[in-house]
Amino acid sequence: MVMLYGLLWRLLLLLVHVNRALVSWLRVRLQSWKSRLWERAMASLLLPLALAGFPEQQKKLNRTPGADDNPSHANGGPSPRLRYISDGMSLQKLPVHIGFLVTEEEPSYTDIANLVVWCMAVGISYISVYDNHDIFQKNHSRLLKEIERQQRHLMGGDGHPYNVEFLSNGSDKCHNGKKKSKVTFVFFVLFFPGAKTIPDPELVVKFGPVDSTLGFLPWHIRLTEFIFVPSHRDVSYKDLLGALKLYSSCQQRVGQ
Amino acid sequence: MPKHVAFIMDGNRRFAHINNMERQDGHTQGFNKLAETLRWCKHLNIPEVTVYAFSIENFKRTQEEVDGLMDLARQKFERLLEERENLEKHGVCIRVLGDLNLLPLDLQQAIAKAVLATKNHNKCFLNVCFAYTSRYEMTNAVRELAWGVEQGLIRSSDVSETLITECLYSNKSPNPDLLIRTSGEVRLSDFLLWQTSHSCLVFQSVLWPEYSFWNLCEAILQYQLNHKSIQKARELHREHQASLQLEADRLCTAEELQHHGNGKPTDAHTRQEALLHYITCREERVQNFLTALKHKRDLFFHDLCIEATTA
Repeated sequence: MVMLYGLLWRLLLLLVHVNRALVSWLRVRLQSWKSRLWERAMASLLLPLALAGFPEQQKKLNRTPGADDNPSHANGGPSPRLRYISDGMSLQKLPVHIGFLVTEEEPSYTDIANLVVWCMAVGISYISVYDNHDIFQKNHSRLLKEIERQQRHLMGGDGHPYNVEFLSNGSDKCHNGKKKSKVTFVFFVLFFPGAKTIPDPELVVKFGPVDSTLGFLPWHIRLTEFIFVPSHRDVSYKDLLGALKLYSSCQQRVGQ
Repeated sequence: MPKHVAFIMDGNRRFAHINNMERQDGHTQGFNKLAETLRWCKHLNIPEVTVYAFSIENFKRTQEEVDGLMDLARQKFERLLEERENLEKHGVCIRVLGDLNLLPLDLQQAIAKAVLATKNHNKCFLNVCFAYTSRYEMTNAVRELAWGVEQGLIRSSDVSETLITECLYSNKSPNPDLLIRTSGEVRLSDFLLWQTSHSCLVFQSVLWPEYSFWNLCEAILQYQLNHKSIQKARELHREHQASLQLEADRLCTAEELQHHGNGKPTDAHTRQEALLHYITCREERVQNFLTALKHKRDLFFHDLCIEATTA
């Protein structure tokens, strides 16, 4: 009888593994299939309009399907920066400090840089990035360069670039002065805060399949909300906004 | 199979509200569910369970609710003492983790009796976090280390991540493999933050009093799916800690050699011997300190029991 239960359990585990593999394979396929299908649909719609010569209509349809996917691609709409700011203000609450926990083996600098830029644009002041192998920490200059590049790409020539300051080990001092215009980019390694002015992360977005914090800031995450996104690769603004919306609806009783 | 599962038993009050019950009844149902879950864990051969029964933050609740919870705890601990033979038969060891000084004296005494009565049982372990927060636990561990340095039992250079772990309330237990939180909230709420850094976290939306065997199986399945990657991360972390310790030992040894040396450069053989000697001495110091700490904690429970019998 025990053997039978053991066998049944193993079968269940195998089914779940297969299901997981199928879902991630399909997800990749569907994404590329969806975008190809949409491109073809758009192309077929555009052709008669192009022939008819309605430039405004063309511009409208040229816009990528999900306006939320990346506001910076919106043509003729409000400035992307304003759009991000308005998205941030429309949320009931915005985290002051957000953490990105990457549990995937191979991190993507561009995608993380995008996330950082979007967070800054929406009004988040402190961003922590963590991965189990300290890859981002060891290559922080590469990440900073990528952030600068993506800022130019996503914001265009609109307004002043955001000021990013890099802290490591919590031992660097955090400047109090120009809090509004300055964004601090933080890597935490120590368990106890060096600078009192850095608040605990209210939200941590975990990317990847591993359901664990893998050692991320144990002291600081006492009241942190965790939101799970399957992968940081090709993560969109919509994914980030979705996580922020979910966070804004969380209610904490803090023991009461 | 996980060897140690931790539960944040959340959702008693919401359950009571949905079912038009008094809050106190919700908590009672929650306790019944705990008893049931412990039986399931025993059947699944999970030898250790830790539960978050009462947080220091929960003292902020209404006096009525807090008193109700204290009464419930009193009842249950007294009941446990009545079941002493049964506990011995099944080898159940009960530990209570938290700042017990915050509790009413009679409850502290009941807890002390239960803990001492089951101290030597070793088949299964139930850790109840009562008047507990993880930050308090970590701060307390650091305070104990400071005490150790003050007493000359250890040096400040002996303090390491491993030693902090040995000073936590949970020092007799391995870290949890799996942490389950019910009721849909996705935060840790100051529970075992240090110990669950490499645990599988499972958040389930079911309310605690409605928890079922299948919910438990679902959580265990998730643990098994994550097992390999988490093991890998744990190994990596352990290796990193070991290399940090070795580096620290080398540094201390070099300092000592410089201090006691006669200015001449030492050869590799002497350095290696000195290093091994230093490590042996450090480990002995740490063991003595931990024994003293254990004695201090046991004395706390013994004193409570004596007070109870003389009262």
